[in-house]
Amino acid sequence: MMTHRTIRIPFGPQHPALKEPENFMFEIEGEYVVGVKPRIGYVHRGIEKAIEGRTFIQNLYLVERICGICSHAHTTCYTQAIEEVLGAKIPPRAKFIRTIIAELERIHSHYLWIGWAAHEIGFETLFMYLWRDREIVMDLLELISGSRVHYAMNTIGGVRRDLPPEMVERVRKGLDVLEDRTKYYKKIVMTEPTISKRTAGIGKLKPRDALALCAVGPTLRASGIKRDVRADDPYIAYDEIPFNVITHNGCDVMSRLFVRCDETFESISIIRYAMDHLPKGKIRIKVPRKIPEGEAVSRVEAPRGELIHYVKTNGTTKPERYKVRSPTLGNIPSLCKMLVGGYIADIPIVIAGIDPCFSCTDR
Amino acid sequence: MVRELLKHLFRSPATSKYPFEKKTSFKAVRGRPVWDMKRCTGCRLCFRDCPSGAIEMVGKGSEAEFKHHLDRCLFCGQCEEVCPVDAIAMTDEFELASYDRAGMIIEFKR
Amino acid sequence: MVPEGVVALLEILLFPGFLFLIALAFFYEWIDRKLLAKLQNRYGPLYTGPSGLLQPFADFIKLLSKEDITPKAADKLMFSCAPLLLLSFPLLALFLVPVNGLTALISFEGDLVFLMFLFTLIAVTIFIAGWSSVNRFSTVGGVRAAFQMLGYEIPMTLAMVGPTIGARTLSISQIVGWQSHNATWFIWLQPIGFVIFVICLLAELEFIPFDAPEAETEIVAGWSTEYSGRKLALIRLGKDVELVLAASLITSLFLGGPSSPLPIPAIVVFLLKTTLAVVLLTILRALFARFRIDQMIVVAWKYLIPIAILQMVLIQLGLGR
Repeated sequence: MMTHRTIRIPFGPQHPALKEPENFMFEIEGEYVVGVKPRIGYVHRGIEKAIEGRTFIQNLYLVERICGICSHAHTTCYTQAIEEVLGAKIPPRAKFIRTIIAELERIHSHYLWIGWAAHEIGFETLFMYLWRDREIVMDLLELISGSRVHYAMNTIGGVRRDLPPEMVERVRKGLDVLEDRTKYYKKIVMTEPTISKRTAGIGKLKPRDALALCAVGPTLRASGIKRDVRADDPYIAYDEIPFNVITHNGCDVMSRLFVRCDETFESISIIRYAMDHLPKGKIRIKVPRKIPEGEAVSRVEAPRGELIHYVKTNGTTKPERYKVRSPTLGNIPSLCKMLVGGYIADIPIVIAGIDPCFSCTDR
Repeated sequence: MVRELLKHLFRSPATSKYPFEKKTSFKAVRGRPVWDMKRCTGCRLCFRDCPSGAIEMVGKGSEAEFKHHLDRCLFCGQCEEVCPVDAIAMTDEFELASYDRAGMIIEFKR
Repeated sequence: MVPEGVVALLEILLFPGFLFLIALAFFYEWIDRKLLAKLQNRYGPLYTGPSGLLQPFADFIKLLSKEDITPKAADKLMFSCAPLLLLSFPLLALFLVPVNGLTALISFEGDLVFLMFLFTLIAVTIFIAGWSSVNRFSTVGGVRAAFQMLGYEIPMTLAMVGPTIGARTLSISQIVGWQSHNATWFIWLQPIGFVIFVICLLAELEFIPFDAPEAETEIVAGWSTEYSGRKLALIRLGKDVELVLAASLITSLFLGGPSSPLPIPAIVVFLLKTTLAVVLLTILRALFARFRIDQMIVVAWKYLIPIAILQMVLIQLGLGR
């Protein structure tokens, strides 16, 4: 609905606030946003179709490359779906190792996000510190899996590498440092007045709207709604590990910051518990290359929210249909709601607030 | 925040002068794969499983020779994992750039 | 004997004139970048010259050799003039500030008022530069720069008036002379004015937390988005000279200028004090997140101006003069 008083301003696909290309068309009235129209699909790579043409083993590595941040969440979701079709039970040790990697990945993703948010509001120093300390967890992941980004730890029927005791010790040491640093960053986020000026009360999303618009992950939990796939529909080892689902009631960008800070603490305690209670035994089972006919849906709580994979198999070595619903796609309707009524200058931080990953969304 | 800032005045930078100072990589790093041609039986498993078609086989069976296309390789390590005779090993080499694609093909001959 | 005219010419061209000031501008950009990097646990410029000392100069040369694009829709005359003005205004203002010795190259009663006028002209030129580019981001950046000027100009002027009342003169050189004569600095006499002056300079220099006119994540490069090549080189040099100007103004008005009780050459004292001022500005810049432009105006009008007026009242009551 164009009226004569509004101006249309395109935001993206090329814009320094967006790390990936995506377009938002804003209707502006004065300094305020009155309407927004997202246009997604700029980084469509045809991965779902490509998956249909490859074997299940090859797809492990293709699925991993849907996203550069939550690569483990995608493979966990993929292997879970295939294992469900197979009816395979993976060994408990594999479950725990998957959980440890998943939580390390969550820490690294949240650190990345907090740093990015700091960058969006012009706090370059905090951005530099956070990304420096993120290297600790990146190094731990490299130590365990052999790669910084695409860990390739999951395989159908278990995990590919074991977690020997000397590595556990090093992870523990890294976690101690991270816990200290996270405490410090939480303090800064809470006390630094320029941060609260830019984030408190910005990008409001009422709990009712969050539910109606199907928000997921930290965005939903920052609106005070306790929903987390890890607790609601436990997968891998989450039913054996006690943890809290973090919620905050601020409904704004600031509480999204708090949720992610607190989730980092939870992740640290989950990893500690998992390492203390690491079961002994095999790390993988042998599975056939041909997967019997069937279909499965699997859900995983990726660092950004609920991730859904669907697979349909036809008894060959290749899937017949594959579908990925990424958390960012679930958050885009609520993002549009958050943006309307805000300032133009707040657009970058509000968009950053949902931790968008457009590569996942467009696949 | 002020205290943290001033503390950094006396700390050495966290970044490293990369091409001049190199960090030692972890043992577990998946770098360039190498074929041990004495062991290889030419079973084609690595060729079949490679997700990106980086492995090219010339010849058949125990006569087979390999061309490894570094520009296509994902360094996932699936070839190493699937090899029934442990003929493939991932090294920790990671500086693999070249000026043209021809330089990215590594041949393994018997 | 060298004729006096030649000496004056050399003073203007070489020392402490153009050449010296421009070299100083590059040097302070290097200090700013290096210190900011250090505070953020990075190296900063490293390979050009010893510890990257020549990096700002190398950047300048590189920009000079780049293609210079003028947008089709731009107002060509204003678009080309703005970079020249942005370099010449701060350079001109620097001639009013004593560098080597107690008097500046150009000094007359009321030169402080002239300098305030130059400061305003810089902000207006920035607005013109943004406006004449005819680009959404440039226009928004230019308008923000003008808005920002509305915010910081009044408290800055009030803070600058403090020393003039104290020294009973409108000449920068004489303010320096007064401080040297009375062996005191205005930073001790008028600390509130000093704080306000530094905050306003951050806004003038478009440093974080007041870098809304060139907020990268919001409006790309702000008012300078469309500039490239030679023009961008001039703008960047102008920014560096502005940094020198800001540092030397802090030095002259509040830190006693190039004078010291010890028998040290005036130029060394000047360099030490201005470096200190640059360090202060850099540390402050590393410390905050960016204010939104409306928040900046609110901060200026709600807090800075009343506090600046409070400082004036204190001075009138006899404190700090």
